[in-house]
Amino acid sequence: MQRDSFSVSIENLPDSPMGSNKKMNKVFDKMTQWVTPWRSNSESPRERMILRGDVEQDEFQYASSHCLSSYYSVFVVRLAIMVMLAILIGLLTILTWHFTRIYTKQSLQTLAYGLRYELLQRPILRMWSVLNTTSELTTAQVKLSEYVIRKYDKPTTQEELVEMYQAMKDVTWTLFASAKALNAITINYRNGFVQAFHRDTTTSSTFYIFSDLKNYSISGTGPKDVNGWNNQTIHGNMSAIWYQQQLDPVTGAMLGKPRRIPPDDLISIAGISQVPDGEASWHVTVSKYMDSPLLSAALPVFDASNKSIVAVVGVTTALYSVGQLMRDLVEVHGGHIYLTSQEGYLLATSTNGPLLRNTSKGPKLMKATDSEEWAIKTGAQWLQKTYGNNLPHVVHAENARLGDQQYYIDSFYLNLKRLPIIGVVIIPRKFIMGKVDERAFKTLVILISASVCIFFIGCVCILILTNGVSKEMKLRAELIRQLDARRRAEASSNYKSQFLANMSHELRTPMAAVIGLLDILISDDCLSNEQYATVTQIRKCSTALLRLLNNILDLSKVESGKLVLEEAEFDLGRELEGLVDMFSVQCINHNVETVLDLSDDMPALVRGDSARLVQIFANLISNSIKFTTTGHIILRGWCENMNPLHDEMSLNVDRKKPLAPMKTKLVQHRNHFQKSCKNANKMVLWFEVDDTGCGIDPSKWDSVFESFEQADPSTTRTHGGTGLGLCIVRNLVNKMGGEIKVVQKNGLGTLMRLYLILSIPDTVEQNLQPDFSKYGLVVLLSMYGSTARRITSKWLRKHGIATVEASDWNELTQIIRDLLETGSRDNSFDSQHNIADSLRAELSTIQEIENPVFVIMVDIGVLDLTTDIWKEQLNYLDRFSGKAKFAWLLKHDTSNTVKTELRRKGHVMMVNKPLYKAKMIQILEAVIKNRKRGLCNGIRNRGNGSDESHDCLEIDPTHYDTCSSDDSSETSGEKEGDKPVKSSTLLSPVLKNYLIDTTNRNDDSTSASMTRKNTEEEDWKDRNNRLYSGIALDGKNPKSLEGIRILLAEDTPVLQRVATIMLEKMGATVTAVGDGQQAVDLLNFRSINAQDSTQEQKSSEEETNVNPQSSSRYSSPYDLILMDCQMPKMDGYEATKAIRRAEIGTGLHVPIVALTAHAMSSDEAKCLEVGMDAYLTKPIDRKLMVSTILSLTKPSTLVTSYSA
Amino acid sequence: MEKRQFRDYTISLYHQGFLDDQFTELKKLQDECSPDFVAEVVSLFFEDCEKLISNMARALDQTGNVDYKLVGSSVHQLKGSSSSVGAKRVKGLCVTLKECCDSQNYEGCVRCLQQVDIEYKSLKGKLQDLFNLEQQIVQAGGRIPQVDI
Repeated sequence: MQRDSFSVSIENLPDSPMGSNKKMNKVFDKMTQWVTPWRSNSESPRERMILRGDVEQDEFQYASSHCLSSYYSVFVVRLAIMVMLAILIGLLTILTWHFTRIYTKQSLQTLAYGLRYELLQRPILRMWSVLNTTSELTTAQVKLSEYVIRKYDKPTTQEELVEMYQAMKDVTWTLFASAKALNAITINYRNGFVQAFHRDTTTSSTFYIFSDLKNYSISGTGPKDVNGWNNQTIHGNMSAIWYQQQLDPVTGAMLGKPRRIPPDDLISIAGISQVPDGEASWHVTVSKYMDSPLLSAALPVFDASNKSIVAVVGVTTALYSVGQLMRDLVEVHGGHIYLTSQEGYLLATSTNGPLLRNTSKGPKLMKATDSEEWAIKTGAQWLQKTYGNNLPHVVHAENARLGDQQYYIDSFYLNLKRLPIIGVVIIPRKFIMGKVDERAFKTLVILISASVCIFFIGCVCILILTNGVSKEMKLRAELIRQLDARRRAEASSNYKSQFLANMSHELRTPMAAVIGLLDILISDDCLSNEQYATVTQIRKCSTALLRLLNNILDLSKVESGKLVLEEAEFDLGRELEGLVDMFSVQCINHNVETVLDLSDDMPALVRGDSARLVQIFANLISNSIKFTTTGHIILRGWCENMNPLHDEMSLNVDRKKPLAPMKTKLVQHRNHFQKSCKNANKMVLWFEVDDTGCGIDPSKWDSVFESFEQADPSTTRTHGGTGLGLCIVRNLVNKMGGEIKVVQKNGLGTLMRLYLILSIPDTVEQNLQPDFSKYGLVVLLSMYGSTARRITSKWLRKHGIATVEASDWNELTQIIRDLLETGSRDNSFDSQHNIADSLRAELSTIQEIENPVFVIMVDIGVLDLTTDIWKEQLNYLDRFSGKAKFAWLLKHDTSNTVKTELRRKGHVMMVNKPLYKAKMIQILEAVIKNRKRGLCNGIRNRGNGSDESHDCLEIDPTHYDTCSSDDSSETSGEKEGDKPVKSSTLLSPVLKNYLIDTTNRNDDSTSASMTRKNTEEEDWKDRNNRLYSGIALDGKNPKSLEGIRILLAEDTPVLQRVATIMLEKMGATVTAVGDGQQAVDLLNFRSINAQDSTQEQKSSEEETNVNPQSSSRYSSPYDLILMDCQMPKMDGYEATKAIRRAEIGTGLHVPIVALTAHAMSSDEAKCLEVGMDAYLTKPIDRKLMVSTILSLTKPSTLVTSYSA
Repeated sequence: MEKRQFRDYTISLYHQGFLDDQFTELKKLQDECSPDFVAEVVSLFFEDCEKLISNMARALDQTGNVDYKLVGSSVHQLKGSSSSVGAKRVKGLCVTLKECCDSQNYEGCVRCLQQVDIEYKSLKGKLQDLFNLEQQIVQAGGRIPQVDI
């Protein structure tokens, strides 16, 4: 049993070497299967990462090896947990099973022992009772015999003897008949006479056996020898004659006659030999009439004197009944029982097998080991084998294996005097423990299977659990690695930005020099044409390179956080108009309309960084132009008030927007913004740049704003560009607290929408829109481009001005005829079959306006300029010049002949395309003003009867002619006529500015005689390029510093002289002083004097538009100070500090440029620290100095420091 | 003939390292309004030199308590003016002298100062010659040729 469980446990334990190896392999296979999906997952990121370069690849390899090792450790841990689980479950199982078994077994064994004992006890008791009965009967027979013999003491005669025998026979018969169990009773007399009763069980008959009396004498035998008994055996007494007489078993009456029988048929008769010592004796005999052994007892019968034995009484009992009992018992309980004598002879068995062995000499007792019954034989053999011949008295063997079955063998020893008996019980184990064993086996099986199930479930659970945990850990590790990598990447990107910021700064300086030198070269007369072309090409390339550098610098500046936005008031509308003017030139070349559509509620003045704002739109528009070949580009703008009340709301709106990463930046920026100008109103200005170009694929909408990202890489070849523009735009927009994104658009092209948060100064009142509706104006827009026309007319109608549109010459003439030829009005309706109904309705409403003033805006493109037809057309229109005002929209490349012709015809209102709000307002105002004057004149000259509008022109022809060398005529015209129209006072700065722009442009484009031979387009680019190219162009101009007043503080006379000459040669006014103290004194003295004029200037600033250089004339006595750093008395640093101290509160800021012989960057830092604006090293480089001075004195340009 | 001589002389001055581009710049500034500009500046320079060198010599003479700071500032000035004029050699020596001065190397200072003295005097001589040549050309009615280095 113990071994059983042990073997089971060996099979079960997973850590036994053989099993665990196999299992490990299996589990490993399984796990690799499980792990495979994870592996395959990890495969793809690896491949992706390979593209990113070697470093990351290495990193990943490291990571993957790390993963592998961690995977192994996880595997080991899993295995350990499983082994522990298995051990635990196995132990539990074994213990449970063992204890239940032990207890059951013990109780059962106790039970079984009792049973066996009981089982054996009963046959033995029966045996005992058999023996007892036999013994009692024998004793009774002896007593009776003694009584009878005493009565017939000393029989002397034959008759007495016979009588005595007869009495003996009767007495014996009585006894025999009463004891049915007896087999036989024999009385053997001393004289050899034998009397016996015998029952034959086979025939169930009873016999009386006696010997022939004749041979015996009563006395004859008496004196024979001392023993009295012949030592002859009964069988040997051949001389005797035996008779057998059958008796009635009940009555004992004789049946038939006695029959002589041979001595062979005799039953065993106890003789004197059996009682040699006069004591009772027992022994087992066999009889040929019985198939079972017989128990016979013998007792001697003494005579009266008790001295001699007169007879021997033998009683024989069959042991048959014991066997019967055993059989009965075994039938109930199973197994075998047998009794043996001490010698091993079988006395009784529970089987039916023979107990006797037939030999030639008759039946003999057989040993138990020779029994024919297998169980008894093997049991006896086992006992003999185990214990040998000295069998202990009591044996309890529980696991005797006989054959292939297990048996209980128990033996008991019954120590009868002279006849010790051994009882053996052999019971098959299964009779007692069969059910228990079966149960135990079943229990074990159930337990094992249950524990195996639990084990597997546990394993699965562990695997799942650890799998989850390890997956999570893996993910976390991955996440940490990713974060780390990202941080590193960001750091490196930051380094890159800083490096770029520093590098491009260094790169720009030589580039500026290169361009400057090229300009000098270009202006040199002695260049051959070929050289000139080459140099121009170089100049172009340099400009392009510089632009690229500028972009990179801007970008890296923003990225490295160095960009600081200015906070200055500027006119948003004017900036944008300038921008559109600039780009329209390019657009017209491309056959693309540029339209500026700003809503009326846009604030005129805003605070912010105008240069950066312009840069945003310049980039966006130039981008649009690049991709738009036909159609239009519209820059729309409108605003959304952001009062403190609505702050919350707009923030909410912001939050809803998807560009989450920028949010914090935006909010931060806004917070900063709010702090910096708490009391200023903030506005959200929305802008859209809408083009009809090739458009951007929606999937690229976000990525186009990344650096070096282009919607379609192939466009680089066609359109060029680096992909930096939009990135800069986005960075700048974000910096201004806004966002930009590409918006879904109906139709072709791209729609970029952005908003900016700008503050508007409190002091400035909102732009007052002039009210034109009361003048009864009728505007006929005859423009080529439909978009601009539509937008303009929409705006005009909104302001109550009746507007008619005409897209080409025919339409124009028809409408003119319809409106102005009053005579043919009725007819014209019929002939105007091609005019749409809506238009006709409009015309009719216009005709109802009283006293209308017609303004006809004619795009020069409407005229046919390719041939000379335009002159005819002009003449035709001229016929109506009395009835209507003509305003001409010119292109920048409109030839001078056309212009002069127009001027000759008296058309003085000419503006360059594109037409936008401000120009329109200006035209309308001019018209209204003329009309008023015309009315006055009309009243005065009523008698002449001449037409009003005709008068208007007639009155002031000279005025226009004198001033109109080009289209700036209107400016001068207005300057004189400012007063009558009130609203124009407000607007005039705006107008003048752009007109000046136009003038300059026209100078550039038309006058070929100028020294600048640059092509026009390049000029525009230069403009876009603001700073450097401008400086470079200025640099070659010998008088580029014209009008700038410079204070030079320099102690070294040589340098002082050189610098003075240098600056004076460029037109600057130079005041030289010898040390810092003088400079400070001079400045203080001058500024006190200048203070009054400064204030004056401030008040007049709004109406007088002076160029930037001169604008600062009143604010400070000097435009710029060149300061040597090392000077006696007071050095440059101290002087600067003093000047800056003095400036506190005045709002002034005189640019101070350091001059130093040190060329260390630490000096630069020191200079900037004390309040200087820029830094120049000795010896003075002329170009660098000029560019620095210009950059500092031109307020519109970016103030930056340029160090060599 | 004289023009050629002038040209050669000028080039030799550049090549020997007496002058550098700054001198050319200086010459460019000279025009009709200020015909003697270069001479004026140069003479200013030499006056300056004389003054500064004597200053420094005096400072260095006071063995024991040499005012290196004074010497330093003088050298700095000299360096500034020499670089403005384009006196390349003088400027180079100034740099060396400044270094000696910063490290308070008396021997070095004295030696350098002597060299500066020699150098500026030789430059003075050379430029004197150059101007004389120029004068001759002008008096002969010729134009001073542009010298491209």
